[in-house]
Amino acid sequence: MQLDFSARELTIKLVYYGPALSGKTTNLHSLHRAADQGIVGRLMTLETRDDRTLFFDLLPFTFRDKGGLSVRLKVFTVPGQVIHASTRRLVLQGADGIAFIADSQVAETENNATAFVDLKENLKTYGLTLKQIPLIIQFNKRDLAAVRSDEEIAALAAQGREPVYLAVATRGDGVVESFIGLLYLTWSALDAEHDLNRKFGFDSTAFLESVAKKLGHDGPLSDVLAACVGGALEVLRPEAE
Amino acid sequence: MPGSPTALLDELTLGRAVELESLVDRGALREMAESAHQLFGASLRIFSQAGGLLADASSQPRLYALLDQGQAGRTALSAVVSGVKSVEPEPEHPAEVGCVTGARYLVASISYDSHALGRLILGPYREPGAAPSGSLRELGLDMAQVPGAWAELPELSDQEAHRVVRHLSAVLDLILFSGHKALLTSNMHLASVQESYRELADKNAKLQHAFDRLKELDRLKSNFLGTVSHELRTPLTSIIGYSEMLREGIAGEISAEQKEFVQTIHAKGEQLLELIKGLLDLSKLESGTMSLRKSEIDVVPVVQDVAQTLAPAARKKGVEIRVVSETGLPTVWADAERVRQVLLNLSENALKFTPTEGSVTLTVRASMIERRADEDGRGLVLFSTKRPAIEIRVVDTGIGVPDGEKEKVFDAFYQVDGSATREHEGTGLGLSIVRRLVDAHDGTVRVEDNTPTGAVFVVTIPCRRTTIA
Ligand SMILES: Nc1nc2c(ncn2[C@@H]2O[C@H](COP(=O)(O)OP(=O)(O)OP(=O)(O)O)[C@@H](O)[C@H]2O)c(=O)[nH]1
Ligand SMILES: Nc1ncnc2c1ncn2[C@@H]1O[C@H](COP(=O)(O)OP(=O)(O)OP(=O)(O)O)[C@@H](O)[C@H]1O
Ligand SMILES: [Mg+2]
Ligand SMILES: [Mg+2]
Repeated sequence: MQLDFSARELTIKLVYYGPALSGKTTNLHSLHRAADQGIVGRLMTLETRDDRTLFFDLLPFTFRDKGGLSVRLKVFTVPGQVIHASTRRLVLQGADGIAFIADSQVAETENNATAFVDLKENLKTYGLTLKQIPLIIQFNKRDLAAVRSDEEIAALAAQGREPVYLAVATRGDGVVESFIGLLYLTWSALDAEHDLNRKFGFDSTAFLESVAKKLGHDGPLSDVLAACVGGALEVLRPEAE
Repeated sequence: MPGSPTALLDELTLGRAVELESLVDRGALREMAESAHQLFGASLRIFSQAGGLLADASSQPRLYALLDQGQAGRTALSAVVSGVKSVEPEPEHPAEVGCVTGARYLVASISYDSHALGRLILGPYREPGAAPSGSLRELGLDMAQVPGAWAELPELSDQEAHRVVRHLSAVLDLILFSGHKALLTSNMHLASVQESYRELADKNAKLQHAFDRLKELDRLKSNFLGTVSHELRTPLTSIIGYSEMLREGIAGEISAEQKEFVQTIHAKGEQLLELIKGLLDLSKLESGTMSLRKSEIDVVPVVQDVAQTLAPAARKKGVEIRVVSETGLPTVWADAERVRQVLLNLSENALKFTPTEGSVTLTVRASMIERRADEDGRGLVLFSTKRPAIEIRVVDTGIGVPDGEKEKVFDAFYQVDGSATREHEGTGLGLSIVRRLVDAHDGTVRVEDNTPTGAVFVVTIPCRRTTIA
């Protein structure tokens, strides 16, 4: 997070992580498509070859609060291919929240797990553990045939710590919900640490609701947050380490 | 680290530090301004946020050249320039600024990613139907030349001027986006190369360190283990050898009683040798210096070999030993010699604790194994709970293992009946070695009850090599 007090400007970095071809870039495309033109900038896809991310994708959002605070979100994807390890680590640096995009196909289970271990190891090089950073997990490609079942995921998700979402990124299903879930956790964690709501007279629920609305989801925040199939929307607090 | 590519990346993607000058190529900016100037006639200037002139596509109109000739005109002109420079237009809302000549300027803010980066100034231009300002006379201009010079000014309606500026802003935005992208790309290249280099250097250092440590450990270990095995085994081998010779009567006739004593010496010697071997194994396993030679192996032949090895002893004891296996089983990723050791230990136990007329059955089948849960419980859902494995059961009809002892039997030196008068031989090391060997294969071992009586030791070894440690 970068906070520019004089400009009343807050910049938050969110990173979409996951194995190769799990649909990280597709998530960003769908978010871009869903977003109101007034809040979203150009989607920058940096250096691709055969549609594979080489460096990163970057989707910027800017929200202006009535109180004059502007909140800027920079949403990144990492390159999932194993060989881009050092690039992944670079992009991960300074992330305020992470969406782990898993591929639902049964055959990809091992790759998901490997990428998750890779995430943990890269966080470790920055002196971080998963306990200290907001995380959501998305099971993408629910439209395919040989995928892990809803029941299996729900059962496991219920035992896990982090919220789990189901998605079909190509159709946009579950994409905004995952994003709002991540933003909710990230904002809450940053607020718990920096007391943002009080400092800026900020109403985070109203803020998240307006973001959801600009992404095409009208209605109370609780409705969007309810889309997670398991795990807890448990807010990280600095003292809870 | 300021100035490092990573810090720069942060600034470029998150911070406000992006500058117009660093995003665009000045030549390209000039060309764009020049072509717009030619197309629309009006002059065009682009300033950075700090006020530096980045592009200037202008030709001084004759009216302004005339003004520039007199002192009063010059003063008035510089007032116009500072006036134009001081307006702060909102993004998307260019500001119109009037000039002392009666002409106009249009000033637009250049912004990128909702940050102001500079200004674009179009003009002077005259609106259709507008007349030159009367104040030109007071500035000492030759009024005969004014109408001609006025008419030479480019004519643009405010509406058109706004359209031109909107168009230029859109083009500029694209140029900025491409510039930003190019800048990020080149920095990312640099940063990735540096990061890879750092990582390699790091790994090299770690490897070197580990290598040095291993060499040292290896030296210590082979010293210690070498000493132990040599110093203990050499005399022991003599003891066993000589007692054997005595027993065979090679050194002359001995009495039945003497023979019995010698026999005991021989048996205890053998037992001691086994104990030493076990201790050596255990210490190797504990110090992590036992190296496993894993490969894709088929366990069925290993199981059959173990059964064959024990067949004579089983026959002698009147216990039936057999192997039951499925066909077409997948291979496992394991060290065949160690798997054999595991099964031999378990089968020896089974045989030892099973009375005459009992049976020992080794069964092999395909199964699944639970993946070990992540220590902090994160990402649980990502790990498939089960993966393919081979299960080997050593089933006997012996005395069985009581419920309270089912975990303890795997402890080193633990024996269910620990009394000196226990009827079975052994040191209690076998199962602790089994447990460690199975662990080293990412597998599991547990004991269950057989019905109506007996124990079942279940070993499960995963089929595929694990990537998750
Ligand atoms: N059927 C289906 N295909 C999907 C879905 N989401 C993404 N895909 C496809 O999966 C492929 C890879 O998607 P990307 O978004 O490029 O994957 P990525 O995670 O960015 O991959 P890397 O950049 O290599 O790390 C593309 O062909 C997508 O169209 C989905 O929900 N369902
Ligand atoms: N098949 C079995 N049936 C009943 N009890 C068993 C069986 N296998 C092991 N045990 C119990 O577990 C104890 C520990 O076994 P372990 O193999 O570790 O030691 P041991 O056989 O006594 O000695 P060692 O294997 O070192 O010669 C045994 O002493 C016995 O009490
Ligand atoms: Mg991608
Ligand atoms: Mg034993």
